[in-house]
Amino acid sequence: MNTQNAFLGIDVGSISTKAVIIDEGNKILAREYIWTEGNPIGAVKKLLGLLEKQFDKDAWKIVGVGATGSARRLVGAIVGATVVKNEITAHAVGTTAFHPEVRTILEIGGQDSKIILVENGIAVDYAMNTLCAAGTGAFLSSQARRLGIEVEDMGSYALQSTHPTMIAARCTVFAESDLVHKIQMGHPREDIIAGVCRAVASNYINNVGKGKKICSPVVFQGGVSKNIGVVRAFEDLLHCPVIVDENGHLMGAMGAAILAKRGLKRTVFDFSVENMDFVTRERNCGGCSNNCEVICVYRDGNLIDFWGNRCERGAAGH
Amino acid sequence: MKQQRKAALPRYGEYNCALKYIVEQGFEAQCVLPPPLSKRTLDLGAVNSPDLVCTPFKTLLGSMIEALENGADTIIMVPGACRLNYFAELQEQILRDLGYTFDFINLSLYNTGKMRDILRALKALNPRCSMVKAGKAFYEASQMVEHLDDTTSLYYRNCGFDPTGTYPKIYKKFIADMYAARSLAEIRTAYRTANDAFTDIPLKKPQDPIRIGIIGDYYTVMDPFSNLELEQKLADMGVEVHRLMNITNDMLRNSEKNKQVKIREFSEYSMGASSTADIWQAQNFAERGFDGLIQVKSACCMPETDIMPVLANLSQDYKIPVLYLTYDSQTSDVGLMTRLEAFYDMVEMRKKVAR
Repeated sequence: MNTQNAFLGIDVGSISTKAVIIDEGNKILAREYIWTEGNPIGAVKKLLGLLEKQFDKDAWKIVGVGATGSARRLVGAIVGATVVKNEITAHAVGTTAFHPEVRTILEIGGQDSKIILVENGIAVDYAMNTLCAAGTGAFLSSQARRLGIEVEDMGSYALQSTHPTMIAARCTVFAESDLVHKIQMGHPREDIIAGVCRAVASNYINNVGKGKKICSPVVFQGGVSKNIGVVRAFEDLLHCPVIVDENGHLMGAMGAAILAKRGLKRTVFDFSVENMDFVTRERNCGGCSNNCEVICVYRDGNLIDFWGNRCERGAAGH
Repeated sequence: MKQQRKAALPRYGEYNCALKYIVEQGFEAQCVLPPPLSKRTLDLGAVNSPDLVCTPFKTLLGSMIEALENGADTIIMVPGACRLNYFAELQEQILRDLGYTFDFINLSLYNTGKMRDILRALKALNPRCSMVKAGKAFYEASQMVEHLDDTTSLYYRNCGFDPTGTYPKIYKKFIADMYAARSLAEIRTAYRTANDAFTDIPLKKPQDPIRIGIIGDYYTVMDPFSNLELEQKLADMGVEVHRLMNITNDMLRNSEKNKQVKIREFSEYSMGASSTADIWQAQNFAERGFDGLIQVKSACCMPETDIMPVLANLSQDYKIPVLYLTYDSQTSDVGLMTRLEAFYDMVEMRKKVAR
């Protein structure tokens, strides 16, 4: 029986780790989504184990691996990725493959948020939050905890509200104190939750989306897109429908897999990494006043990659 | 005879070589070079500065402290067009409160745009020195600055396409020569040597390379440490990097008169400091069909923040993407690399489709 080529894409974010396996026609063969829990290496190993179970190893052969997300370098080294790409490009590539007509991609993740403007299927402009993580998933989680509900349930609570509470959205720190004030004033809980969702959307439009022309069709993705309350808030603020793909949270991984497919490098990937032992060590170079922090990655005791050095002096030879 | 003064200017890109030239050749005093900027400089500056002041204030203050540690007894502070013009007084006070003993030459008090007023201020370095000689050194140092800026801009335009990897070596040698130069002849020889060496290297440049224009506030955009070596990072990706903002273009040659009139369409009034020059430069890059613009600014920089809406309009009118970068006292470049890579990918894909 002939085996067909397949491609693996891994997206390791601050909060969650995502992976997909696709075939030549971008059809999803296996998908998984788990929490990173501050341990990217462990998360990837666990993720690969879960994927292996969904995947028919006799019919398909993985010939390319793409890594993206904030831990892309580390994970790329561990799985031997053929492509390591930043998450902005990966998201743009993944989304335009499924929604070729898209003009604006809104993306809100756990710690970052970005906007990508698309014309004729290619990204023409983008922006990413810079010094402040206001209005990202982390803010929603902490407010959900304050209100004593699961972050997953926020959306359904928000939809019950008819008069969302106005919450100062300029800055998360102020938003939080405003929120506490409104709770103590006696605003109903669903109105508060709807207000928080609205605050996230308007904070995003005023900060990340500032000065950008948001055209329809709009696709909204990232973990926060699973919150129907924020989706409704965006629709109200932008006066247009907002598309949420059921695989929206996997778009970064999809993009990475597609980039691996487009790339020229090919290596056969089996799932043996699951059983290998990976250790990372940080060392201060000390070769000059820069004092670069060099990260070394060891597989079963052997150095396989290092980074963080600004010059050859910091190269890890030992 | 009174001992020679040991004067120092806080690190400002590589422009310290020009001050060294004026101090040593013009005023026959000694010039102390602060160590290259490092995390320590920034930490020293940040811990002694008001928190919300811009990063250049902190970097300059840290560098002043390091100059004093290196034995300087006179600190010279440059004037500026924004609140940088008021930095000197505050920095002097902070240093005095820290217990340092030194003389302070605050050039903002003499910021009339006339060379003779600057020279009058610097005369404190050596009151018995001939003003003719000082004037000559000042002129020669300005030549040095022009050569430095020319070479730097040539370097970043081409070094991404040098297959031999010798560009950085030539540039480093040239910078070292500028610090060592003692006469105009030496400056010119070093300039010619570097330029000849650059020309001798056959470049592997595509017909229509990716060109990115960089604009930004006076300090952050010109100082590689402060912008986390933005220009080198872009060049290493294979980009032709252009920056018009430098001392030569903005002060010495100032060849573009009436910039404010030229950018009338986008902004009728000046917003201070580098704003007018930046908008004009952005427009200039856009008209020349550049593939992208990058705005570099320190957090809390008012003029640069003010021009962002103007740049957004310009971006729409000329269909040119703009990447806005804000620098604070961070020294990790991971976030910067993500944004630069994404910007590069985007610009490259756009260009492919346009072809």
